[in-house]
This record gives sequence, C-alpha cells and structure tokens, in this order.
Amino acid sequence: CFIFSALSQYCGFAVRKPTPVCLCFRDRKEWADLEPVRQDDGPNPVVKIAYSEKFSDVYDYFRALLKNDEKSERAFALTADAIELNAANYTVWHYRRVLLQALSKDLREEMRYITAIIEEQPKNYQVWHHRRMVVEWLNDPSEELEFIADILSQDAKNYHAWQHRQWVIQEYKLWDDELEFVENLLEEDVRNNSAWNQRHFVISHTTGFSDAAIVEREIQYCLNQIKKAPHNESAWNYLKGMLQDRGMSSQPGLLERVLELKETHCSPYLLAFLFDCYEDALENSVQRENAEEDERKETLKKALEICELLAQEKDTIRKEYWQFLGRSLKNRFVTGGSSDEPDVAESSGKQESN
Amino acid sequence: NQTTRQPKFEEFEQIDFLRDRHVRFFQRTLQVLPERYASLETTRLTIIFFALSGLDVLDALDVIDRNTMIEWIYSLQVLPTEDQSNLSRCGFRGSSHIGIPYSTKGPGVLHPYDSGHVAMTYTGLCSLLILGDDLSRVNKQACLAGLRALQLEDGSFYAVPEGSENDIRFIYCAASICYMLDDWSGMDIQKAIEYIRGSLSYDNGFGQGAGRESHGGWTYCAIASLCLMGRLEEALSQRELDRIRRWCIMRQQSGFHGRPNKPVDTCYSFWVGATLELLDVFQYTNFDRNRSFILSTQDRLVGGFAKWPDSHPGNWFDLPKWLLQENLVIDAHCHRQIKNAKSERQLWITTIVVYMGFVSSLLFFLSVERDFFVKVPATNTLKNSVEATGVEWS
Repeated sequence: CFIFSALSQYCGFAVRKPTPVCLCFRDRKEWADLEPVRQDDGPNPVVKIAYSEKFSDVYDYFRALLKNDEKSERAFALTADAIELNAANYTVWHYRRVLLQALSKDLREEMRYITAIIEEQPKNYQVWHHRRMVVEWLNDPSEELEFIADILSQDAKNYHAWQHRQWVIQEYKLWDDELEFVENLLEEDVRNNSAWNQRHFVISHTTGFSDAAIVEREIQYCLNQIKKAPHNESAWNYLKGMLQDRGMSSQPGLLERVLELKETHCSPYLLAFLFDCYEDALENSVQRENAEEDERKETLKKALEICELLAQEKDTIRKEYWQFLGRSLKNRFVTGGSSDEPDVAESSGKQESN
Repeated sequence: NQTTRQPKFEEFEQIDFLRDRHVRFFQRTLQVLPERYASLETTRLTIIFFALSGLDVLDALDVIDRNTMIEWIYSLQVLPTEDQSNLSRCGFRGSSHIGIPYSTKGPGVLHPYDSGHVAMTYTGLCSLLILGDDLSRVNKQACLAGLRALQLEDGSFYAVPEGSENDIRFIYCAASICYMLDDWSGMDIQKAIEYIRGSLSYDNGFGQGAGRESHGGWTYCAIASLCLMGRLEEALSQRELDRIRRWCIMRQQSGFHGRPNKPVDTCYSFWVGATLELLDVFQYTNFDRNRSFILSTQDRLVGGFAKWPDSHPGNWFDLPKWLLQENLVIDAHCHRQIKNAKSERQLWITTIVVYMGFVSSLLFFLSVERDFFVKVPATNTLKNSVEATGVEWS
C-alpha cells in the first residue's frame, strides 16, 4: 500500500485521488435565483479552451453577475474564485474594483490579498495594476518599497516591479533612500541593468546631472564598477548616456582614463565608447575653423582602427556593423566634410525599398 | 555598398527548417487548447493572429477554412447599440468570455461591461486582412471612436475604456488600427509622438514609458509606431536614430536578448530584428548566428519554436515569438504546452510500463511467498472444481 500510494503520488495524474465533492455554484441553493450564462463561441469556435466543469461553473456564474451588474457580497466572493482560476482576466479585476467601492470593502484587507497574489504571479499585468489602484485609493504607499524589494529579491529584473516602484517613488516623492537601495542591488549584481536604469532615474529626478561634481562622482562610480567587471554593457551604457549630450570628448581626462583601462580591462563596450569619443571629437573639430588638420586626421585614424579591431577581433558578431560605421565615418570626414547632418545610413540600406 | 545576401527559401529549408511541422503546430493551435491555457482566454484573438500570420508567412493558409474564421472574428466586434450610447466602447473583444450571445451582425447588445480591447481590435483587423477580408463589415467609425476614448493626456493609451495600465504597447496597437483603417482621426499623433520621445532612455533604447528601462519589445513599439505614422525622421534626429541603431544592434548575442545582461530569447529575434530592419541596418547583423540560435529552439516533433533551446517551464505566450530571417518572417511560438503534451505522452507510457512492472513483480513476489496467499478453506466442491480443470490442487 505504501509503495502503491508513493507511486501514485509520483505519477499523480495517472491515478487520481478521489477529489472532494465540488460544491458547484449551480448546486448551491443560495445561488438558485441566478441563471448561469454559458460562453457562446458560435458554431465554429476557434482556439477554444477546454474548460473543466468546475471552471465553467465559476465563470458561468461570473457572467451572470456581470450581466445583471449585481453588487453584493456573494459577487465579491465569487471574483476571488474567478481570479484563482484565471488571474489574467482583466474584466474580473475591474468588476472586483467596482465591488470594492460599492460595498465599501476593507482596503487594508485587499492589500493583503493582492500582496499574496502578486507573490504567486509576479509577472501578471492585472495584479500590479490592481495594487496600484488600491494604493491610490488608500493614498498610502507605506508598504510599497518594502514589498517591491521583496519581489525583486526573487527576481531582481522584474519589469513590473520596477515600473511599480518608479510610480510609487515619483507619485509620493519617496526619493530619499532609493540611491542606497540601488547601490545595494549593484553590490549584489553589478550587471543588473534594471538597477543601473534606476540609478539614472533617481539622480535625474533629484540632483540632476548638470552639477560637475555629480558627473565626476558618477564617472568615478562607473569606472570603479568597470574595473570590477569589465565586460558589463550596463556600466558603459550609463557612462555614455550621461555624457553623450554634453559631448563625449568634453570631460577632461576621461579619454585618458579610458585609454588606460583599455590595456587591462578591455571590452567591446570600452572600444565602442572610444569610437564614440573620437567621433564626437571629429564633429566638434569640424565646427572649429582653426582646427588642426593633422589632429583630425589622427583622430579619424584612431577611430577607424577601433572599428577594425572590433570587426576583426573584439566584437566579431557585429563585424558588418563596425565596418559600416568605419565607412560612414570616412565618408563624413575624409574630405573635411561640412557640418550638415550627415546621413550615416546613407548608401546600402536606403537603396532597398521596403 | 554592401549587397544584402538573400538566401532563397529552398536554401533555408536545407538548414533543416521543418515547415510542415510548423504548419501543423499552427493548425492545432487554432483548434482546442487544454484548460491550463485559461490565462489566454481574454486574448484568444491575438493567438489567432499569431497562428494566421505564421501560416501566411509559410504560405499555408489553405489548410484552414477562411470563412469560418472570418465569421468567428466578426462575432467579436463590439458594435454600437441602437441608441449608440456605447460608441466609446466599440472595437473588438479578445473572446466571448463576457457571455454576449454569438452574433456577427448589429446592432450591438447593451451590456454594462462589454467593451473592446485595443490589442484585440488591432489583431482582429490584422487577422481579417490576412484572411482576405475587405473589412466591409467593420464599423470603422465606431472603432475609431472607441480608440479615441482610450488615449490619455500624456499621449499613451489604455487597453480598455474601463481603465487599465497605459503605455507604449497600446500606442503601437492604436497606430496599427489607424493605419489599417487608413484613418488617423483615431488618435492624436502629436501627443503620441511626445510620449514615445519621452520613453527614450539615456542608453538609447525605449522603455515602456518615461524613466523606464529600455527593452527590445518597447523599442519595437516605438519605432514601428513612428514608421506607421510616417513620422520616423520627423520625431527623431539622425543622431538619435544612429544611437538607437547602436542600442538595437548590441542586443545580438547569438540570437537576441531584450535588455543588456539578460539571456537571449527567440522573440527578440523579431522585436529587435524587425526594429533593425525598419532602421535599415538589419543587414549588418550576423545572420548565421541568429538563424542557428533560432533553429536550435525548434521542436522537431511537434513544430513551433521555444524561448530557449532547452526550454524549461516559464511564462510563454507573453509575446509573440517572431523570427526575422533576412526577409522571411516566421511566426514562432513558445510552445511549452506542446512540449508538455509530448512529455506527458512519454510520461503515460512510462507510467504504464512502470505499473506493469510493479504489478508483475508484485505477483512474482507473491507467488514465491506462499504465505501471502490467503488460505481458503478447501471445501470439497472447490477442490473437485479445481481438479476437474486439470490443475493440481496444492
């Protein structure tokens, strides 16, 4: 008997334990007044989902409630059953919200409910939207940062969690501890791109990036992280993102520091950054009429060498792209071209009509 | 001037692309799905769209009954009621889950909770066009009224009039609807462009909204929307476009991933690949590595493509798994379901074998241990009956 039951547990679906008698809604006398509403897909249904009796029963009664727009405790209770069967049904969630308001339900209890559901299904859009609505109604974000931190501890890149976090912080001005939170996450995983994004989000909405001291601090932070983990696109994207509109080559001493890093902590991202610096320098030198022709030629040469290095050795998967960039750069600057906005995607692509 | 390599479909087939399997996979998808796919109920119309698109690309639409499918799609249209009081809720539903009685004709039925969903209106119209329908039974004005009702002040869209999350995905759906209906009165283009621009991240990809992490799917929505509007180069400068190209092309690892430092996933071969194509630089990606990755996820038995080569349980059908192969687009679905069906079959076989093994070993065990046999009182009748059969009584 022990072996038999152990085996049947292992192959659970093959030997069904007797299921407890399901008290369907259609058998409950307190629901007898309501006529269930079947789903009607017509004579030739497409992508039909084969629901069990239990599933159909719950949703047949849900449809009946919906049709009558019934606002009652039994309706509210049924929404929980419907959600358990399919938490992605946005109509059920909407109806539940209507009932929460109409019946003046306890929203703190609803917070507990939605917390449990999100823990089980953290990548569902409807559950996060529902939570946001309840937080708004309560006008109380006090649990949010801790809750989201818990979800992120299970998946540090959950897009829904980060989105909700940004909303809460922005809406309720909870900026104070966020940079520290981000730094802790980056300590755990310096490659967490979501955390780098959050860093940018926090700083741009608080101190901003105009202050030279802030920029220098951030550059230093980036370079430190790069030294720890050179092959990290996120850190390089952050560095470039911060500087690209100020002029990549404008930050004094940065180019030299990056060239130093190239010897010991090289990566495709470092080289791409160098290329972008050289390109920026060339664009700026075009503006300056008394620019040294030799200096420009030298910069162009270095930029083209980077393209070759990337194409042939350091980032071969993008060989075609780096060679294309090299050609474009040459076309723009070799004849000492004008400062018109050059169409970098000139030759190849545009000739094909799509 | 680089010439784009254009492999022929025959050459492609030689690399072991199992066309017929994929056709059958889509056919099965269009029939019945097991209950564990319940979470797809409200989005069934998008599943049809994926399957039809796949069949269309594989030039296999002849395997389905177009008229049946067209009728079913039209039954999902939310039409205006007699008094037109529900105009702002018109469009297409994802399925019959609300319980409206099946009907392909108007007027609409008054129901307190019936409304269209912007992604269903988009995929519904697209599916009808794939099936060769001329959209003559679409109430275009009602669809556009329903669409206008979904746009917010910041330019983004809700999915449904009763409210939902709002972001760049639904701008793409809205732009597609306006494009297909050839009528841009359905949306305020300028506001939508502002929202899209606001979603451009510091790292030159697009997030789902302002400040959010850049992502392959949202980048596609942004760029494709601008292309549909015909405003790509008006909305974004050449410098910005070059930076976006760089962000996109850096997504290639073998196949593509959706965000820096995330694993590759077949769906991004479409989201990012298609964006690169719209930006005229897909030709500079590595075709071989992309194709090898995609084919490594192909399910040889039941067709379809998985998220990853050794697909393990995880969310599927979040996004369509499209593949951009040079100019050939193949609809690829993460088919955990079908993989489960295959492994479930194997599990049944295993179970039966194990049970039989168990039962036979139990019998063997019992047969050698006679003490286990219950001693039946040997009545004379019993003994005589047994011996009459020639079996020795012992």
